Order: sequence, then C-alpha cells, then structure tokens
Amino acid sequence: MRKKNMRGTRVIWLIGIIVMILIVLAPIFVMFKYSLSDRSSVVTGGKPIPLWPYHPTVEQFHGLATMDRFMTAALISLEVALLSILIALVIGTPAAYALVRYRFPGVMVLATLLISVRLFPDIVSVVPIVEVFLKFRLVNSVLGVALAHSLLSIPYVIFIAMGVFETIPRELDEQAQILGASKLYSFTRIIVPVALPGLAAAAIYVFLLSWDEFIFAYFLLAFGDLSTLPVLLKKILSWTPQHNLLAAISVMLSIPVIIFTFVVQKYMRTGATAGAVK
Amino acid sequence: MTRIIPFIRRNLFGIIILTPAVLYLVGFLLIILFKVVGLAFTQVSPDGSLFPTAVHFIELSQNPEFKAAFTRTIWFVLVGTPMELIVGMIAAFLVVREFKGRGIIRSVFILPLAIPAIVTAIMLYIMFDFPGGHINDILMGRHSFFPFQLIAEPVNWRGSGFFALMVSMVGKVWRDMPISMLIILAGLQSISKDQYEAATTMGANTFQTFMKITLPLLTPAMATVLVLRSIEVWKEFIFPFILAGSYPLLATLIERAYHEWRDPHEASAIALILLGLIILSTIIIFYVLKWLRKQLVKV
Repeated sequence: MRKKNMRGTRVIWLIGIIVMILIVLAPIFVMFKYSLSDRSSVVTGGKPIPLWPYHPTVEQFHGLATMDRFMTAALISLEVALLSILIALVIGTPAAYALVRYRFPGVMVLATLLISVRLFPDIVSVVPIVEVFLKFRLVNSVLGVALAHSLLSIPYVIFIAMGVFETIPRELDEQAQILGASKLYSFTRIIVPVALPGLAAAAIYVFLLSWDEFIFAYFLLAFGDLSTLPVLLKKILSWTPQHNLLAAISVMLSIPVIIFTFVVQKYMRTGATAGAVK
Repeated sequence: MTRIIPFIRRNLFGIIILTPAVLYLVGFLLIILFKVVGLAFTQVSPDGSLFPTAVHFIELSQNPEFKAAFTRTIWFVLVGTPMELIVGMIAAFLVVREFKGRGIIRSVFILPLAIPAIVTAIMLYIMFDFPGGHINDILMGRHSFFPFQLIAEPVNWRGSGFFALMVSMVGKVWRDMPISMLIILAGLQSISKDQYEAATTMGANTFQTFMKITLPLLTPAMATVLVLRSIEVWKEFIFPFILAGSYPLLATLIERAYHEWRDPHEASAIALILLGLIILSTIIIFYVLKWLRKQLVKV
C-alpha cells in the first residue's frame, strides 16, 4: 500500500516537472521558431501556423544586419548600458567599500536605506523624472536614459559590492597602510584589483538591468528619433509588423541576457534570496 | 562638538567616498517625491502661473476611465499576487527533492529570468494572436498532436478586458516564477531534516508533516514572496501595456494620462494614488501575515 502510494506521488511529480518545463520553454521556443520562419510559415492564409517552419531560414537576421533602425537601436542600447555601468560602478563601489569598512553608528541603517531605494516603484518616479529631465535637455538623449538606469542599478551595485568587500580581509588594507600607502591608494590599487571579479559580476548585472529596461527608456525616448532595442520593439509593434521580424529582434535582445544571466547566476541567487532581484 | 570633529577626522575617507552615492540616490528620491507631489497638487492657471489645488484628485474620482482602471488593478493584484506565490511554490516543491539532473531542471526553471520582460510580452502577443495564434489553434484542435476541439470560435484575447488582463497576468507570473521559486526553495532548504524524521517516527503522514512542519516554517519565505510580489504586481507596466492596451491598469493609465491626455499633473496624481495603495497594501499584508503566523505556530 505504502509503496503504491510512493509510486503515485512519483508519477504526479514527473507530470508536474514535464508540464512546468513545457510552460517555461513554450514562449522561448516560439521566439526562436518565429525568428527562423519564412514568410509562408507566418502568413498561412487561414491554415494553422506550423509548430516548425516549412522552410527554416535565417533571412530575418540578414535583414536585421542591413536594417538601419535596428543597428542604430542596438548601438544606442550598448551605449546606454556601458554609460550606466560606468556611472553605477564609479558611484556605487566606493560607497559599498565605505559601508563595509567603516562601522560608525547608523551605517547599517544607511546601507539598508540605500539598497531599498530600488523598492520605490519605477512607474511612479518616471513622470517626475521626465519632467525634470526636460529642463536639462536629458529627454531623448543617451545620457538621460543612462542616468535613469544607473539610479535603478546603484542599489544593486552597492549590494553586490558589499558582499565582495566583506570577503576581502581587513588586514590587507591595514598592511598596505602600515607600508605607507594612503587610504585612497590602498583602495584604488590594492582593494579594487582584488575585488575585480566580483565587481565584474556587478557590472554584468548593471548591463542586464539597462539592456532590457523598458519603462524609463520608453518615457524618455517615446517621441524622439533615438531608440534602445526594447523601445524599438514597442515602436515597431505599432506598425503591425510580421511576427518573424518581431521574433528576430527579440532573439537579438535576449541572447546577451541569456548568456550573462547564467554567468552571474550565482550572484543572482544570493540576491534573489535576499529579495534583491527586480 | 568635541566628539564630532575627531569622529569626522577618523572616518573622513569613508565619508568622502560614501557621499556621491548618498547624494545621488537620496537626491534623486527627494527630487522625485517633491516633483510628483508638486505636480499632483498644482494646476497651471490661464495666465501661466501655478496654483495649488486638489482638483486632479476630484476629477479623477469622477473619471470613469480612472474608476475602471482602479477596479481592474484591485482585481489584478488580488488574483495575481497569490498566483505568483502558488506557481513559485509548485516549482520549488518540484525541484527541492534530490534526483538525477536536478541541476539542469533548475537551470531550465530559471530561464524566464533570462528573457527580457518586453520580449516575453511580445511572445505572448504573438502566441495569443487573433484569429490565428498558436493558443487559438491548439484550443480549436487544429493540430494533430492535440485533436480536441475545446472552443468552436477563436478567442479575441486582446479584445476583451478579462482575457487581455489574464494574458498579462500569465506573462507576469511566468517571468517572475524563478524569483518566487528561489526564495521558497531557500526557505524549504533551511528546514532541517531532523524535524521531518521526528514527525515520521511519531507516525505523522505526509499531509500532517506538510501542515504542521513545512507550512509554518515556510511562512517567512512565503511572506517575503507575498510582500515583494504584491508590490511588483501593483506597479506592473510592461505586460498590460503591450497586451491590454485598451484596458489600462493604474500603471498603464499613468502612461495614457501623460502621453495621450498630455497632462503631467493628472499623471502624477494617479502615480501618487498608486504609491499610496502600494504602501497601504504592504502594511496590510505585513500585519495579516504576522497574525497568520501566530495562528499557525500556536498549534
């Protein structure tokens, strides 16, 4: 009786796993399938859309390479992401170091406060930010989007970099200072190089956040000629394009995210369990 | 005073390198708060000057579009938040036991996190297309692998508020599933095996151990998921924006007020209302969970 029961739960568990895998993979499969679809597999004239294209082709990707709007948007996305990484790391890393090394009263409250800035709803802050940015000519500009994105990512940088600095023994700073290095020198020349792999993870995190961020980018770029890739997707959507074009752009947008997510998965897990994932 | 100067001198370097981040984050936050409150409570008079007023909130309370968005948002949160928790729990319970290939399955379950939200929304847009999307094809039994006709006519998913918001919710829950799963998983793994063994030796069955051990000890993790996810569901923008354009929630109504009505004052008023609702609901959830935990642990 007990054995039979065990087998029963095992079957239910197996079905659960399979259903879950199918649900998780379905949209991803659809994305890749459509991006490889030829015209006849998308515009079927009433027949059901095939689960695999009749004539798989990479012509959509060839098309993207010669599509000016796409190439410009990809470049803008990259510029915004790199600029956000620069701003977020330059501001966030020293702060994280100070929060870990200087144990003055209230420092943990300050750390919690800075990290929980990310809980402030982005959709609430977007209108005031655009209104303020309008005055400084930051709307419809790469710098404006990068500033908004670094505002979102600095709390994450502080969180990740604090974890990195906590693993570096205090003796390292102390010895450098005994040997006559200034605090600035020992931070920039000794601590930061040691922390570099962890900081690289923080940089990737900022990249991911900026690369697929939609709300700020959309509000800041909606009526201009500049677009990041997510904004381009939305702008294209309003001219009811063929689905395989949408899917091809989606693939190009997703691939860096998929690769980098698995690179920083370890950090994401600790982040997620601490509630630090968006 | 005499104690402050040596304190500053001792920590000078730390204070200096901490300042930019504090200024940046707190400064931005203060600017945002001042601006959003300032916009929401002022109006431009005909001669171009600003005057303080609460007229936007009064106007909104009489605006049928706002009322509809308000009701939709309440439903979206009431259904969406538990969905996020339940799906995350199912996923976590599926992968918590030891089995061959668990690492791979877990990596697959984390995949939604690696798909940008806007891409997920576009994929649902394609899958739930009308009349010829995949979901309609499958439900109408037009594929040989699933020859059951569940519906006679294709459903116009984006043409009805109910379906459009359901599809948005599917997207939201799909994309957030890994986060809820990881938090629940961490909670499950922190429960020691001894407690289960003790319960089993004393003759408890699976249901009893679940109700008396797993669930009470899992409440902190569940509380984390509920609080964080409810905030996320309240402010969800991308999925309803792409998939339920004609049926705005409060978050998407902000966009409409700003871009279509061209009224930053009205948009800010909606944003403030949304912010108030988020804070209120977080407090309520917090206290309800505290009470619930007491009830569960008392037994």
